[in-house]
Order: sequence, then structure tokens, then C-alpha cells
Amino acid sequence: MSNGHFGKYGGRYLPEMLIPTLEQLEKTYESAKKDQKFQKEFNNLLKNFAGRPTPLVFAQNLTEKLGGAKIYLKNEGLNHTGAHKITHCIGQALIAKRMGKTRLIAETGAGQHGVATATVAAKFGFSCTIYMGAVDIARQRPNVFLMEQLGAKVVPVLTGSQTLKDAVNAALKDLIENVNDTHYVIGSVLGPHPYPTMNRDFQKIVGQEIKKQTKEFENKLPDYVIACVGGGSNAMGAFYNFLNKKSVQLIGVEAGGKGKKIGDHAVRFSGGSVGVVEGYKSYFLQDSDGQLQKTHSISAGLDYPGIGPELAFLHDKKRVEFVSVSDQETLQAVKTLAHLEGIIPALESAHAVAHAIKLAPKLSKEKIIVVNLSGRGDKDLFILAEAFKDKSFYKFLEDFVKI
Amino acid sequence: MKLMTHVVIGYPSLEETEKIVRTMVKSGVDMIELQIPFSDPLADGPTIMNACEKSLQRGTKIKDAFLLMKKLSLEIKIPLIFMAYYNTVFKYGTKKFCRDAKVAGAYGLIIPDMNIDEENQEHFYVSCKKYNLNNIQVVSPASTDERLRKNAKVESGFVYFTAHQGITGVKDKLSPNLISNLRRVRKNFSVPIAVGFGISKRKHLEAIAPYADIAVIGSAIINEINKSSTENIEQNVRNFIKNILFHNN
Repeated sequence: MSNGHFGKYGGRYLPEMLIPTLEQLEKTYESAKKDQKFQKEFNNLLKNFAGRPTPLVFAQNLTEKLGGAKIYLKNEGLNHTGAHKITHCIGQALIAKRMGKTRLIAETGAGQHGVATATVAAKFGFSCTIYMGAVDIARQRPNVFLMEQLGAKVVPVLTGSQTLKDAVNAALKDLIENVNDTHYVIGSVLGPHPYPTMNRDFQKIVGQEIKKQTKEFENKLPDYVIACVGGGSNAMGAFYNFLNKKSVQLIGVEAGGKGKKIGDHAVRFSGGSVGVVEGYKSYFLQDSDGQLQKTHSISAGLDYPGIGPELAFLHDKKRVEFVSVSDQETLQAVKTLAHLEGIIPALESAHAVAHAIKLAPKLSKEKIIVVNLSGRGDKDLFILAEAFKDKSFYKFLEDFVKI
Repeated sequence: MKLMTHVVIGYPSLEETEKIVRTMVKSGVDMIELQIPFSDPLADGPTIMNACEKSLQRGTKIKDAFLLMKKLSLEIKIPLIFMAYYNTVFKYGTKKFCRDAKVAGAYGLIIPDMNIDEENQEHFYVSCKKYNLNNIQVVSPASTDERLRKNAKVESGFVYFTAHQGITGVKDKLSPNLISNLRRVRKNFSVPIAVGFGISKRKHLEAIAPYADIAVIGSAIINEINKSSTENIEQNVRNFIKNILFHNN
């Protein structure tokens, strides 16, 4: 790999004015990677601030009900702030400190990455600005409130589709204008080099833990690791450690949304094509002129037209298989996991659960599936209440406003 | 000092773009940048972003851009340049894009996010060279001498220097380091220097005239268009350019 390329994907397709700051980031990251003190501080924060290691939970009831492969859940939802995102935010905050930056900016879709960034900004004493599409602000108000409580300024993005991709553009523009004091905390394994590599390296601890914990329970490697894929940070984290273990099948689950029509889903591999957007080359949902298309998913975290370049490479190499599940299957998976296992997963992670539910009955009882449960579902309260048509929840909201 | 102006193709409409370009030529500009609208224009500020968005909403396609270039280049003698983001070029096919741009009569291409570090992957400069099309490199105040040297190796036509570290848009004052940066660019490049980003006034032109060769005005003219009704767009654009070229303001 050179210059951040994964085969033909990745790279650094940026205006010249951003190159020096990314070269500085790359150099700083390369030196930190080799610095034991840095690694020690990072691991210490993961343990004593974020709450690692997260447990691997045997989903006994679900396994028995489906009657096939054994299902384990890697419960990343037990991380501080509720998802795996905090891991690369801690890593990047330490890198930003090393570069002498005083301000963090980030894009956010559902608000999870924004909350995680605002959290590390508060902890390490950075000022913080979060860009969020106006459409996302309207559907994720609770996270906006949380970010503001953590001291961040949340800026609504009113351009384009007013969602995640537009927030990325707005944050890149902020970075262009404030390169001297600002570090842009990109929230996934995408964007220009070195972000895809750096965030993957921070997240790979997930796969290392899965390997160790599966060994403790079963004394062998898992046969399948399944993760949902928006940009791909939780998937790359879970997969990376198994890439050279041929017996482990890796499955990425994309958002099938409401259907196959353009604008109704976020399935990049079957619906998209190769392009160069937001500084990197990968698969994008775009029209024949290269204009990015609208996407939809019930989970804001998967509602994005691009995908991490290393995943594009692994797709072409057929090392990672990609499938998609619909909004409806996802909602059903939330219900099933809540009833049978006492875990309400984030809607993003529920995509991975939904695929495991389809796969497990087709496999023999000796096979082991690990589902990466990237986040917990608390944040989806309002979306779930709406999807499940919970009238008393709406009554509560109405009454609450009146008080 | 020469003047380069800028339009977003299809804004406010394809017919208007054509008229505006003709008006610019008649008003005495020396070259014109025709921007192909893109859904995610990374280096552009709100004015040009909004123009791109409106143009795409009206249904502007790449083939419209090529048709317009062809039509205008047949009757207009000054250089007409395509400005686009790299995905537009890549998705069309880099080689094919360069060939068709040349056939349509373009003088060159300005592709700010096609970075020289990716040439091994893209063969973009090779394609420009093959079809005798100028690839105009964009450099910025943040460019180190090393980066300037690297970009100068593929210089062609002229070099575009962004007057401030930021995105496109109107600014009142020029950056205090502008002159020293222009000297650095001059030292490294042998082609003429164009200066854009935040250039909107006669006094800006006067300040940079001794150190640069071409002034670029983009957002300021789109602001004029936005202020105009359909009937007086051309008149307002003409007056704005005349003011810049001949009067102090």
C-alpha cells in the first residue's frame, strides 16, 4: 500500500490547500503508531474511560430459537457514549493533541459520532464544532441536545441533501479555512489518506477482542463475523484481525431501506459505481454524470452514498461478502433481540442481527457466528416509537410539552 | 493585467449562461472559466455551491456543458476553460473527457481536487498532454516550496493561485501575505500566474497587478446575477466588469 491506496481505491484527491495539513496528520500518526507511550495512553483511555473490553455475549435464546449456528454478540453498545465511535475519537483526540491543535470539528449523521467527538473534546479541553445536516437535526434532536451539553457548537448544514455527506463537505470547508488550529475528526474509515488507515487501526481492537473472547468460549475462531456497513468503521474494526484467517467468513450488511429505487436505499455495491468524492476513490451511489444520489435508511448511520475504500478493495477481492437487509427486517430484528436477549441494538447494528437471523438456521450447530453489535438502541427511541406506532409514547410527548 | 471571469454552466439557465459568456467577451474579459456543476463542490463557498445546486435542479447534464463549449468556442476567440471536480472527469472517463473537451474547443481544464500525487492512478496529465489541453494547476498559500515545485513540473497554460487559504467567495480585504506568496509562486513557475478567491474589486486588481498576470473573478459576478432580474442580468454583468476594468471603486 502506498499513499493510502487499497488497490485502486482510497488515495488523497484533494485541493492542494489541504495537502500540507494531511501530510502533517500522516506524519504525526506514523510516529504515534510506533510510540509505546502513545499506545499505552490510548489503551489506558479505552479501558478506563471508554470501558473496554466490551463483552462477547452468547445469545443462547436466539440460537435455540433459530436452531442452527451458535450466535455471539460483540456488545460494542456498552462503550461510553453507546457505540464503537468513541474508540477512534479518543485516538484522534490524542493525535490532535500531539499536533498542537486546539479545536476539533466533525461531521455527524445520527449524532453518535458528534456526541463521541464532543465527549473527547470536553475531556481533553478542545473547543468543538459539529456539522450536522438540517434534515438529520430534525430527526435526531436528542443528540443535538447532548452535544450542546458537552460544550460543542452544532452547526446545521443547509446545502445539498442536508444530510451526512453535506456535513462532511461543510466540515472539510471549515478545515480548509482553519488548518492551523483545527483537526477534523472524520468519523469513519473513509475520506482522504490517512483517515481510512488510521481509523481502522484504532478500531482493530474490536476484532482482536472477538478473537480472544471466542477462543475463551469455544477454543476456536468464529466461522462468520457479521457487521453493518455505513462508512465501515465498525466493520473494518471487527474484520481486520481476521483478514488473513481464510476460514473466517466476513459479511458486511448494507442498508436495503425501503426498496431498490434510487433514493430508497444505501446499497453501494450493487447500486453504485466507482467514483472520487470527498477526497477518496471508492464505490458511490451516483448517476451517470457522477452526481451523488440521495440515499435512505431507517438508520441515519447507514444513510450515506459512499463506503470506506478498504472495504471496496475487500469487496473486489471477494474477501468480504456484502448483503443488504430492509428497514422492515431491521425493525423485526430489534424486536427479536430485545425479547429474546434483553438487548436493544442500535438500528445500524440491527441490520447485522437481521442477517444473522437469516443465516443461522441454514448452518450446522457447530458453526459460530459473531455479530458485531456496534451500538445500543437508546438513541433510536423516537424512530422506534414512530416505527412501532406507539400511541402512548406520542401521548407522553404531547402531555410533556403541555406541562 | 488580464481578467478571467467565471460562470456556472446552467445557472441561472443554459440560455442565460450563453448570453452571460457573450456579454463578458464584449465587455473585454480575456478568458472565461465555465464550471460544470457538481453535487459536492469541495472548494466552493456558498455562492457557487448554490449556483451548482440550482443548475443541477434544472437538469444540467455534462453533455450540455460540452455542447455549450462547442457552440461558444466556434464564435469566441478568447480562451474558454472547463472547471470541474474530478469525479465528473473520472466518471465520464478521464481520457475521453480530455479528448471531448479538446474537440469542443476548450483551452484547458481546472480540476482542483485532481491531485498530482494521484497521477500514477489517473493518467490525467498524460491525457491532457495527449490531447493538447492545458491542465491548470491550482496552488494555495499553504503550499510549501516543495509542493510548488512538484506542481510546477506539470505546469501548463497558467497556474491558478488562491489568494487566501479558504473556499471561493467575496472578501473585502486581501491576505497580508499575498504578495510574498505570489513571489514564491513566480520563483517556482514559468507560466503566467492567475489569482482568484476573494478577488472582487478594482483595488484588489491594482494591488496584485505587479506580481500576477491574470485576475480571476467568480463569486462576485454570480452575486451580481443573483441581484438581477432576468431582463437586466447582462446589463449588470457588463457594468460590473466595466467598473472593474476602467474605474476605481
